[in-house]
Amino acid sequence: MMHLLPPLPVAGPLAVAALLLATSRLLPARVPDTVALLTVLLATAACVAMAVGTAATPLTYWFGGWTPRDGLVLGVGFVVDQPGAALAAFIGLLFAATLVFAWGYYDEVHAHFHVLMLLFLAGMIGFCLTHDLFNLFVWFELISVAAFALTGYQLRQSALEAALNFTVVNTLGSYLMLAGIGLLYARIGALDFTGLGRGVAAHPGDVVVAAAFTLLASGLLIKGAQVPFHFWLADAHAVAPSPVSVVFSGAMVALGVFGVGRLTWTVFADSLPVHAVVHALLLGLGCASAVVGGLMALAQRHLKRLLAFSTISHTGILLAGLALLRQDATAGMLAYLVGHGLVKAALFMLAGILLALCGAIDEITLRGQGRALWPVGIAFGAGGLLLAGLPFGILQHGLGLIDAAAHAEGRGWVGPVLTVGTALTGAAVLRAGGRIFLNLGPDPGFESRAPTEADREKADRPLWLMLAPPAVMLLAAVVSGGPAAGFAMRAAGQAMQPDSAHILGGPSLPPTPFPAEPPGTGLAWISVAVAIALAGLLLMRHRLPRRALALNDRVSDAVVGSMARLHTGRIGDYVTWMVFGLALFVVSFVLT
Amino acid sequence: MTRTARLLLFALSCLVLAPATLALAWHMPAFGAHPLPYGEAINAVATAERHVTNMVSAVNFDYRGIDTLGEESMLLCAVTGVSVLLRGARGESTRARPGRVHGQPLRPRSTAMTLIGRVAAPVVLLFGVYVALHAMSTPGGGFQGGVIIASGLLLAFLGDGYRTWRRIVPSHLMDAIEGGGALLFALSGLLGLLTGAAFLANVLPFGEPGSVTSGGLMIPINLGVAGAVAGGFAVLFGEFLEETRVELSDRPAGGDT
Repeated sequence: MMHLLPPLPVAGPLAVAALLLATSRLLPARVPDTVALLTVLLATAACVAMAVGTAATPLTYWFGGWTPRDGLVLGVGFVVDQPGAALAAFIGLLFAATLVFAWGYYDEVHAHFHVLMLLFLAGMIGFCLTHDLFNLFVWFELISVAAFALTGYQLRQSALEAALNFTVVNTLGSYLMLAGIGLLYARIGALDFTGLGRGVAAHPGDVVVAAAFTLLASGLLIKGAQVPFHFWLADAHAVAPSPVSVVFSGAMVALGVFGVGRLTWTVFADSLPVHAVVHALLLGLGCASAVVGGLMALAQRHLKRLLAFSTISHTGILLAGLALLRQDATAGMLAYLVGHGLVKAALFMLAGILLALCGAIDEITLRGQGRALWPVGIAFGAGGLLLAGLPFGILQHGLGLIDAAAHAEGRGWVGPVLTVGTALTGAAVLRAGGRIFLNLGPDPGFESRAPTEADREKADRPLWLMLAPPAVMLLAAVVSGGPAAGFAMRAAGQAMQPDSAHILGGPSLPPTPFPAEPPGTGLAWISVAVAIALAGLLLMRHRLPRRALALNDRVSDAVVGSMARLHTGRIGDYVTWMVFGLALFVVSFVLT
Repeated sequence: MTRTARLLLFALSCLVLAPATLALAWHMPAFGAHPLPYGEAINAVATAERHVTNMVSAVNFDYRGIDTLGEESMLLCAVTGVSVLLRGARGESTRARPGRVHGQPLRPRSTAMTLIGRVAAPVVLLFGVYVALHAMSTPGGGFQGGVIIASGLLLAFLGDGYRTWRRIVPSHLMDAIEGGGALLFALSGLLGLLTGAAFLANVLPFGEPGSVTSGGLMIPINLGVAGAVAGGFAVLFGEFLEETRVELSDRPAGGDT
């Protein structure tokens, strides 16, 4: 039975999407909602079954029955392993929660929203399971096209430029990726990961291989919104409807980083130069993203832009975990990916509730407006504290594993740097929460200069229906710590096969023992304390003595203001930074 | 960022990237000397195994059929996205009037245009069907044929105007053809699962090499692609042509050109 499952979570949603489109004008209201939700749940169930069933060995599936002949791969294969299947299952759950959250919201357009969401889901699941580079690109493109369409869903004139920025930057990313695939194919003549890995092993220090990695990784890091490729994300989030933002931040961005990991563990598993660059450059970019995203989140007043920059920061933590290239760090990354997805998706839903019920998304406009919605406020505060690093649950397990791995690698500075990111993003969310739900902060500081927009979404659903999915997700993020970390550890071991240890030049890595107790919580409490203190300082500005206020303004303008001035919203700047990012790869290959 | 800063950063990056690109070009496999084990293997086996003479179709619809299913969905997604972005259904009613640029008169269509449209449309349609049907034996196939079919439909607009075009190309029918084509592709893949084989396994008789009926499962897949592409492009044209109409609420119904 298991061996029949791999194509179903991809082909099923595709078929249902086609069916919904073909019959869209005949279907009564609520039918697309129900059919889409059922399809997502079935696809998720198939992914869960595969995640459980592949504990011992990954499952290989050849489409069309084209098993390789004499080592030559004629068809396309999926290799379903635990990390891929579990990630696909998590994404399925996120989609299910989103469809519940958006229940009945999209009545007017002939089920088009549901068609797009199902295609989006199929692309993401295919991306997680595939074992073929071109096939990976096909799903990557499907994800992109669905994302462009969903972003523009409520397109207004003022938002056109932001949506266009998103489309242009991500399409350039696709071009980079396709060029990288072309280079590898020209050199090796294969497209499946195993064949490519063998080919790369035969030319480990080849310039063509290095260039291919540069292009592939840049394309994926654009999707992963990492410094200096990150500029589009906040623009896209600011215009996308909130159910779509949930999926963008919860799943799509993280998939970019997972894709880099997938290629590093398989195709480039035997290229020492590539691993040196991952170890140096990607670690640096991850840490930079964590800090830049945190600072920029603090500088926002548009709640969805704020959360978008916090996504950049937390995805930076994922990239840093990946770049350490150790089983425990990878396990930390996978755990953090799921935890961040849950918490950030919940926060975007809460922002969506404010959009629907209070008719605004601007932190300063909304001040005190949320007092009647105290359950939303409690959830929002809990989400902020979890982002700040509250030492309960899966996020803390993930970050603790990454921190411990960095220490073992002799890079003890990584943990504290990433903690700066969590403290800053936590402070930003807590400041917004304090202002909206507690009526604090009458005197806004630098955030009042941030871009904002009057916005609203339809208020056609009861509060409990909108509040249930984020509440469940926050609860899941808190209670799922230990078991999830154990699962992530096993999954990371499978993901990094063929044994990644020799990549780093050392002998085979000893299997990292499952952490008996949650990792150290000292750093986490410091992060939470800093976040609360910072949020308090920003909300109590009006109580500061004049001298302290002047100092505060000078410091914040120097740190946050200069950063904010780089985020211009102009496409020319974004592309320039992208070219700069490519140059960074080149420099890094030359130096390492 | 100021213009100068941007140009400076760009120039600096290019200074790094240019020698890297040159080094890459230098190290690329020599022209024509690529290892091409895949193409050679397909050329060697496809005719014997699948009774087809167009290797590109064999790769697209059989050996790497799942890629094509993904690409088909991408087209579906892009067209649906355009419908969502441009929606407003302003011209779905045939009473909608053409919009006009201020100060420019709407000229009536010449009879020559109508004649050319009426003569060419059926020929183009027939050619599209021909290209689509001969996917497995000659260059072409559902993608190319589908686009030609959709252009044939568009000729009806050029020759006979928006309202006639709306009548012969109703958007719900095009939606159905587009979605139905993609569904046919996906269901063809599931056919293999029912017989216990893999998804997209070719479980139909392969037919005579060089004939229209060769290729087994590739036939319904090709038809599905043709439908999805023809329907998709027709929907796309429809969405853009609707943009030439004035919204019904803006003006009372009037004459068409």
